[in-house]
Amino acid sequence: MYFKLSLRNVRKSFSDYALYFLTLTFGVCVFYVFNSIEAQKAMMHISSSAQQIMKTITWLMDGVSVFVSFILGFLIVYANNFLIRRRKREFGIYMTLGMEKGKISRILISETFIIGVFSLAAGLFAGVFLSQWLSVVTAKLFEASMAEYRFIFSLSALLKTILYFGIIFVIAIVTSTVVISKYKLIDLINSIKQNETPKIKNPAVTTVLFILSVLLIGTAYRLVLKNGIASFDRMLAFECVLGAAGTFLFFASLSGFFLGLFKANRSRYFSGLNMFIMRQINSRINTAHISMSFICLMLFVTIGIFSTGLGITKVLNKGFRDAAPFDVSLSVEKDADLSAILSEHGVKLSDYSDSFIQYKEYSFKDDSLTLGTVLSKVEDQIPPEGRDTVIKRMYPMPVKLIRLSDYNRLMELSGKPGLSLSGSQAALLTQYAWSEADLQSLLENYISQGSHLNIGGADYSVYPRLLTEGIVNNGYDIFVLVVPDEAVQKSAVSGSVLCFNMRADSVAAQDRFEDALMAKGIPARCVSKNSVLAQAAGSKAIISFVCIYVGIIFLITSAAVLALQQLSEAADNKHRYAILKKIGADNGLLSRTILKQIAIYFMIPLALACVHSIVGIKVANDAIRQIGSLNAALNIVITAAAILLIYGTYFVATYLGSKKIILRN
Amino acid sequence: MGEILKVSNVEKYYGNKGSLTKALDRVSFSVSEGEFTGIMGSSGSGKTTLLNCISTIDSVTAGNVIIRGADITRMNSRSLAKFRREELGFMFQDYNLLDTLTGFENIILPLTIAGENHRSAVDKVNEVAKRLEISEILEKYPYEMSGGQRQRIAAARAIITGPALILADEPTGALDSKSARMLMECLESLNTGMRATILMVTHDAFTASYCHRILFIKDGKIFNELVRGADTRKEFFGKIIEVVTLLGGDAANVL
Repeated sequence: MYFKLSLRNVRKSFSDYALYFLTLTFGVCVFYVFNSIEAQKAMMHISSSAQQIMKTITWLMDGVSVFVSFILGFLIVYANNFLIRRRKREFGIYMTLGMEKGKISRILISETFIIGVFSLAAGLFAGVFLSQWLSVVTAKLFEASMAEYRFIFSLSALLKTILYFGIIFVIAIVTSTVVISKYKLIDLINSIKQNETPKIKNPAVTTVLFILSVLLIGTAYRLVLKNGIASFDRMLAFECVLGAAGTFLFFASLSGFFLGLFKANRSRYFSGLNMFIMRQINSRINTAHISMSFICLMLFVTIGIFSTGLGITKVLNKGFRDAAPFDVSLSVEKDADLSAILSEHGVKLSDYSDSFIQYKEYSFKDDSLTLGTVLSKVEDQIPPEGRDTVIKRMYPMPVKLIRLSDYNRLMELSGKPGLSLSGSQAALLTQYAWSEADLQSLLENYISQGSHLNIGGADYSVYPRLLTEGIVNNGYDIFVLVVPDEAVQKSAVSGSVLCFNMRADSVAAQDRFEDALMAKGIPARCVSKNSVLAQAAGSKAIISFVCIYVGIIFLITSAAVLALQQLSEAADNKHRYAILKKIGADNGLLSRTILKQIAIYFMIPLALACVHSIVGIKVANDAIRQIGSLNAALNIVITAAAILLIYGTYFVATYLGSKKIILRN
Repeated sequence: MGEILKVSNVEKYYGNKGSLTKALDRVSFSVSEGEFTGIMGSSGSGKTTLLNCISTIDSVTAGNVIIRGADITRMNSRSLAKFRREELGFMFQDYNLLDTLTGFENIILPLTIAGENHRSAVDKVNEVAKRLEISEILEKYPYEMSGGQRQRIAAARAIITGPALILADEPTGALDSKSARMLMECLESLNTGMRATILMVTHDAFTASYCHRILFIKDGKIFNELVRGADTRKEFFGKIIEVVTLLGGDAANVL
């Protein structure tokens, strides 16, 4: 009997709260998808280093999921209590009919249970399919071939989703039971007649508060723009607190301030239903400003992580090919015959590859040719923000020389055109042009000065083009010099390098080679393309997954809270709109009024979040320039599109839902 | 004096074939300009249904309602809204003021909806407020007012557009006797001073005694009509009581 009642209640209110149900389903779906990453590697042909990274990603996703479940838990508990408040009168009727509170709680528990089971089932179903798509994305990130198509299903992710959401629903049930037990029958019966008595604030006070909030936010902006966010210190925390406090104050005083401003313009105020809209919002803002502030801050975080996160992946994306030009490179910091060392230990290169290249790195023992020799010439162009000291600390390091013939053999191996230098030319080469835009421009500036270098007593002019090809996997040097072979005569060998490409299935062969090296304990630094790629793809995957995961959850949570508030407000406002209708407002005017009211609620938090984000992205950009520049504009466009789509959908659904509630008879 | 309202053969049925309720059964009457007409009847007699049909809030099953020459039973919803806005003023038992707006804003609302210039609108509000003696409470919110004050604000809102007809549904229903008397005097002054045509539904004989003419409804039909003529209000009150007694307790049925 009670179960039947709850089932009917769910079905009855389903159309009203479809948005909540869909949000829940979507949340479950996203939760499952990002927890199923571990299972995806089953269908990918990936190296052992990539598997290691995948483990790290899974571990990280576990942590993020705990955070996400707190956010979703908040949403569910909030929404649940919200729906109970809306149904006070219904519960009052049950109670006058003699139903005990315990039984009402039981109805509620079954309802929450029904909604929970349905949304879990629907979310998991959608999630299982969506995770197939994600596995394709992951495979692409790791440049892995799909070994064979297999339907991915992660039992652990399934159980985890059920467990986490089960706990959330239990908490929701407990809180709603507590809420119910506190209600008094008289309040439940009279709830419909109770009006929130609008607290009228002194217009002078709201104006002062509004100005204060703008000042607070402005100060936070100025401080964060000055200090940057490179280091997490007390200053940054202070700036965040300042900004958040300003945001809360902003929403608390906003409507009062604008009401005052608007009232001064009488022709605007007394036109159509403008006056009604302003009063509506002002009467609600006392209760709504806290949630609006939270929503604004959440949107800010969403915009920030979406666009910055996308930017970072772009930076990481571009250059790992230059960072790992060969399948394997071995290096030692002395003069040694690496192939001989390998065969001494019983590792035969011919098992892996047909051809390999060994070359030496040279440098001068005295400090006649150091990084400072080059960089001090363009010192004034080194970007500030504390980085100049980092670069200046590298000044005394010797510049390494590579012989032109070695360079050309390397280019031949990687299938790139060679270089010819006249007897008195030396070329600058950096492997990090892709990630260090600042470094690249510094070196190009140096070259364009038409500089000359003294190498071993002879004068060399600098080759007019900056070389950016890779010569070793993950080289240590920010730049080296490619010089004619005879130029190295007076210098000493500072390191030896061995590079080669694998013959057959490279991914598996690299793993075998690295295992053999480990087993034999060969004292050389070995960097495989696998590991460089896994690291690049791994950091890319980590950043983009975390950003998308947290971003989506924040976005749907804030949009859902707004939507729930507006839908319930629509129910509250039904009688007000009925009055307007009686005194002659037609449906068109009422629809426009509803649209304006909802648009204001949706747009104001978004607008302030956008302003916050402009500052935030600027600061983040400055911080990220150290490892590469963001293509900010494009990322912001992508972010805006994503937000517009999701947020806009909620907005439209809320508008249509409200209209239905208010205008239906 | 022209005819403002003409109700002819209005029927309103509720329910389906199985259980049909005739809320209004071939009701016909008319109201002239400047008249203060009352409709009386016990609960469930159909008086509120009649008012709703006249006020375009409800539709009739059959018959015609003609207000200032326009047949409202043939209008679509858009022109009905326009018609309500321009030709009708409303007062309700529970005031139906917007609690988020001040008294002033409540009164001016019909004018802003109609798109009237704010300067003339403000002037009109002040003028009506002076006549109804509510100038002092204009800046208050409804929850800060007494019931009588709220109803006078509602009366001002009803008259502000200069409607052809003011429809009042139990305006004194929620008021104490002193406030009720003040409100009725206020309506009387609207009627005599501003020549407002008022159609009021009530079941209270005292409230009804302010009218010029009273229609009695019973079981959806017009049962009796009482015209005040040259009677004092007290004499008229006595006559009303007689009819009410007749209406309520049909002595022949009891004995």
